[in-house]
Amino acid sequence: MSVLSHTTLTSAWFGLIGLMLVLYVVTDGFDLGIGILSLITREERDRSLMIQSIGHVWDANETWLVVLGGALFGAFPAAYALLLSTLYVPVMAMIAGLILRGAAIEFRHPAHYKRAWDIAFGAGSTIAALAQGVILGRVVTGLVPGLASGVFVALTALGVASGYALLGATYLVKKTSGPLEHAARSYALGAAATTVAAAILLTAGTRIISPIAHLRWSDPVVFQALLMLGLVSALAFAGVVWAVLSRRTHAPFRAAVLLFISSFAGLALSLFPDLVPGRLSLSQAASSQSTLVFMMVGVGLMMPIMMGYNFYQYFVFRGKIQLEAH
Amino acid sequence: MAPDHGVAWQTPLARRAAELRPHNGDCFSLIEEVPNTIMAINDIVNLSRGQFAMTAIFHIIWPILTISLSAFLLLVETLWVRTNDVVYYRHARFWAKLLVLNFAVGVVSGIPMEFQFGTNWAGFSRYTGEFIGNILGFEGTMAFMLEAGFIGVMLYGWGRVPRGVHLFATAMVAFGSSLSAFWIMVANSWMQSPAGVAVVDGRLVVTDYLAAIFNPDMIWGVTHMWVGALETGAFVIAGISAFYLYRRRYGEFFLRSFKLALIALLVIAPLQIWLGDSSGFEVFRTQPAKGAAIEGDWHTNAPGTGAPWALLAWPDQAQQKNDWALELPTMLSVLGTHSLTGKITGLAEIPRADQPPMVPLLFYAFRVMAGIGFWFMVLAFWSAWVWRKTRGRLTEMLRQRKLLLAWVLSIPLPYIAVESGWIVREVGRQPWVVYGLLRTRDAATLLPAGTIATSMTMFAFFYAILIATFVVFAYKWLKKGPDLDALPPAFVKPLRPQARLLETQS
Repeated sequence: MSVLSHTTLTSAWFGLIGLMLVLYVVTDGFDLGIGILSLITREERDRSLMIQSIGHVWDANETWLVVLGGALFGAFPAAYALLLSTLYVPVMAMIAGLILRGAAIEFRHPAHYKRAWDIAFGAGSTIAALAQGVILGRVVTGLVPGLASGVFVALTALGVASGYALLGATYLVKKTSGPLEHAARSYALGAAATTVAAAILLTAGTRIISPIAHLRWSDPVVFQALLMLGLVSALAFAGVVWAVLSRRTHAPFRAAVLLFISSFAGLALSLFPDLVPGRLSLSQAASSQSTLVFMMVGVGLMMPIMMGYNFYQYFVFRGKIQLEAH
Repeated sequence: MAPDHGVAWQTPLARRAAELRPHNGDCFSLIEEVPNTIMAINDIVNLSRGQFAMTAIFHIIWPILTISLSAFLLLVETLWVRTNDVVYYRHARFWAKLLVLNFAVGVVSGIPMEFQFGTNWAGFSRYTGEFIGNILGFEGTMAFMLEAGFIGVMLYGWGRVPRGVHLFATAMVAFGSSLSAFWIMVANSWMQSPAGVAVVDGRLVVTDYLAAIFNPDMIWGVTHMWVGALETGAFVIAGISAFYLYRRRYGEFFLRSFKLALIALLVIAPLQIWLGDSSGFEVFRTQPAKGAAIEGDWHTNAPGTGAPWALLAWPDQAQQKNDWALELPTMLSVLGTHSLTGKITGLAEIPRADQPPMVPLLFYAFRVMAGIGFWFMVLAFWSAWVWRKTRGRLTEMLRQRKLLLAWVLSIPLPYIAVESGWIVREVGRQPWVVYGLLRTRDAATLLPAGTIATSMTMFAFFYAILIATFVVFAYKWLKKGPDLDALPPAFVKPLRPQARLLETQS
């Protein structure tokens, strides 16, 4: 009766949710990354600039997570139920971090004593980033407990946090000038090095302990595609280093985004056709045909519109920032 | 004609669902050994209910003001663009500062809401995800992002975008926040009167989207809540304006916002009473147990007679009767069925396991809400009468000390009314999470009690800080008052060549 089979639909939804995840991770990633970097920034003036650089966009960026949550809940209810209930502690830690971070950004501005809010901003961002890393690590290891998984999960948390720091630092290069821009360039190099080190270790770890290894990486076609993506990531890493050192303004951030996109494409390719490897497949988790179609019409139509006005908001606030007078 | 009540709490769909209800132990238990006593399971479920109730009660405070305040900002900004009167621009800037503070707490307290469905109510998520998840997905993509995507331009975009674009951004924020309330109320009303679904393999599948979205409770749930939000904002705006008038500060400025809010309330306050009555009428039709509980009505009236309405009473659930009651004959049939002899099913006729808990809470929460609703109408009409008598002259209005004080003291009341209404709506639906289809007990994730208690304590701690911070900053804002010299910034097109020059230098 329909030209779209249930399998095609679930794959399309997997792709759409993957796109939402990349949009969230890249945009809120630089917000959270700036929060992490604010912890090692001494000058209050610099911290003001850092928060000001994301002041008008952080809320829309965080909203991609809400969009992602709603889409996962509707398209894959069983996955939403399984993941959130099993990952209760890291999810609550992430929410705590996001509450601290959001409140700090909004309340720092009118506050007389900014120190406490600066700590909340840095700590909240760090907690949220680490918790998201834990969630990612638990998914990749198929929610299996144990020491090896624990080490892997800890490494994922550090990897995600340093990846966010890389995005945050390169975003600051774009938005700031003077000493802060200079500092951001060195943060970017440090974060790029730790991110790539974590990525290499995590790839080896996945090969050893994750169900992904025998489920997906044993397939030669998948393996070749992953090799290609690995090559893109390596080029992106080289691009970050080159762009930072050659004092480009926009290129470092763009290269860091490319690094994230290629890593998440690799992740999506490794998970497919499961959502939780070895535990829950896309088709087991998916809603019925009619819901997937109905929701695709509503959500699918809105995606380009949402991306459009989000882009417009960035456009309005484009260019390097100046410290706002009080 | 009196409507046919039947046994609405046991529909064929509900009976079918009873056979296929998802069993808790099957996939959403995170504790090693599932407790074998009902008591132990109930403790866990009640902890999760407590956490959800606390986070929801805290969260709802903020969006209701965001909805109405953004609508008010749209109004004053439109008036400014149309009339070029700078006072409206100053109003837009002044009230936007309250919106920023309010919006911040609303955003951060909203995040736990969406994720708790999965973390604490995994059974509910899996069972109803096809519909509830779908609707929350719509809410996020159509409404929530719209609000977030334009609020930056609205709050910080003055002078960066032309007037028309700024007005458009304000309109999108106002529209987004109201649309968000619409989708949330669609989801919630469906939980009150589920329709358009069938049970397949132990979970609900949508068979008719229109029936599910336009479920019996939807139109009343959406409108009663939305108008309640507008009423809240109108009272906050009028109350704060009255506060300045009472203090004789910025009189002329605030008389204008007082007048706008008063005009709105002359329509909103009676409208809300009518919507509340219609909403109650719908409750008696679709959720007789809730209707009987909020009115403390234990026994079905005999055919040909009217059910008496208890104005005040003390419902005693253990004995299934009222300890004492101050009753008006026949009134309950009139309220619940709009007929003199309409049948109202007594709570005692409904099996004990299907009765809502805490009947006195429901009984009094409803009376608090309804009482406040009537007081609002009285206050609005009293003020309109005074306004007419004094022709709204500032000198005369400043002399209305009692009236102004009444408005100031009424500021907390809309919040109390909204919270009471939600308690009636949600506690009254118990023991069901989806009325007649899924019991709350079967919807909860079995988590270790200590884990839920920890997250709940964390939320309580954060919320205490958030509300204290909000109060401090709102007080500072109130003390500072409006900037009566503010002039609209001229829109200056950014100098692109210079920006490019900067780029090549770096």
